[in-house]
Amino acid sequence: MKDDYLWDKSGQPDPEIQKLEEILGTLRYQPKPLELPEELPVSRRRNYFPLIAIAASLLLALVAGGVWLRVRNQSVPQPQHVEVVPTPAPIEEKKPQPITQKPVVPENAIAVNRRPHHKPVTTALSKRERDEGLAAKEQLMMALRLTTEKLSLIHRKTQNTTPASQIKNQHRVG
Amino acid sequence: MLLMTSEAHALEQPPETPVEAVLVRAVLSGDRDGFASLYDLYAPLVHGILLSRVPRAEVDDLVQDIFLHAFKKLHTLRDAAAFGPWIAMIARNRAVDFHRRSRETVEINDDLRGSESHESRANEILELIRNLPEAYRETLVLRLVEGMTGPEIAARTGLTAASVRVNLHRGMKLLREKLGFMGGL
Repeated sequence: MKDDYLWDKSGQPDPEIQKLEEILGTLRYQPKPLELPEELPVSRRRNYFPLIAIAASLLLALVAGGVWLRVRNQSVPQPQHVEVVPTPAPIEEKKPQPITQKPVVPENAIAVNRRPHHKPVTTALSKRERDEGLAAKEQLMMALRLTTEKLSLIHRKTQNTTPASQIKNQHRVG
Repeated sequence: MLLMTSEAHALEQPPETPVEAVLVRAVLSGDRDGFASLYDLYAPLVHGILLSRVPRAEVDDLVQDIFLHAFKKLHTLRDAAAFGPWIAMIARNRAVDFHRRSRETVEINDDLRGSESHESRANEILELIRNLPEAYRETLVLRLVEGMTGPEIAARTGLTAASVRVNLHRGMKLLREKLGFMGGL
């Protein structure tokens, strides 16, 4: 059949198509070697997943650490104090002390709002709280170590390329 | 029973891996020779696509450029088996770029030199094919110039076999009409 010849060159040849093939065949591709520059590196697939995973884990760990510190600090009652700065005459400096009563402010003094300096927390913590904090810290460090190990494993796996002979389950497109 | 046995046997056999996929993976793992094999396989396709769109004198250089570009960008190819459709698209885009950048030129072929050679007739017919609708010209050039069959064109370009068949028959019909106006072959 003539249509088959146009489609897959089978069946009865169409003389007109054969003539066209003969004439147009002079324009056919003539094999030439491909000139690839020597210095041109082989393009490789860049896999950013391990880096992104590591960055995300570190960020998560930082956030978790921040939250944990905040919660720990909030559980310790912070003494409030107001620092009084007298203007005209110098007065003897006194160490700021935690006060439980409202301080007596001289009339010529100007009250300045300042953020309270954080005292070392360890002094205000009881032994039980300190032990709890240390245990939580150990748990956090253990979790970070585990995460790092897992990410390293993922990184190693993704860096290993699959041999071409083991490629399976690929289907031709089209 | 026989049917069940043959089905089971078919299920046991792994699906055939396209040679393009194997070659692409080899190149990505550092084998430069693999790309030479891809070039040998697909250069006629790229040549045909360009020949249906740009002046013949530019085709050979553009083929080299396209494969060089493909080598640099191979890591961006997601499906290794789709190398054919991918490089065909690069070739089509490059042909569009060529027309966008280059000034309007007149291709000096053998006709203008007054020659009556076989090649001049080929250029004349090629010009007729280039004036056909875009859907037909590429398929016709791949079939009549590069000598590829319909199934080969479908497999390499990523088009469906039905589309290629329709394009071939409609394009051939239009070409016959144009050749008729020109006094046949």
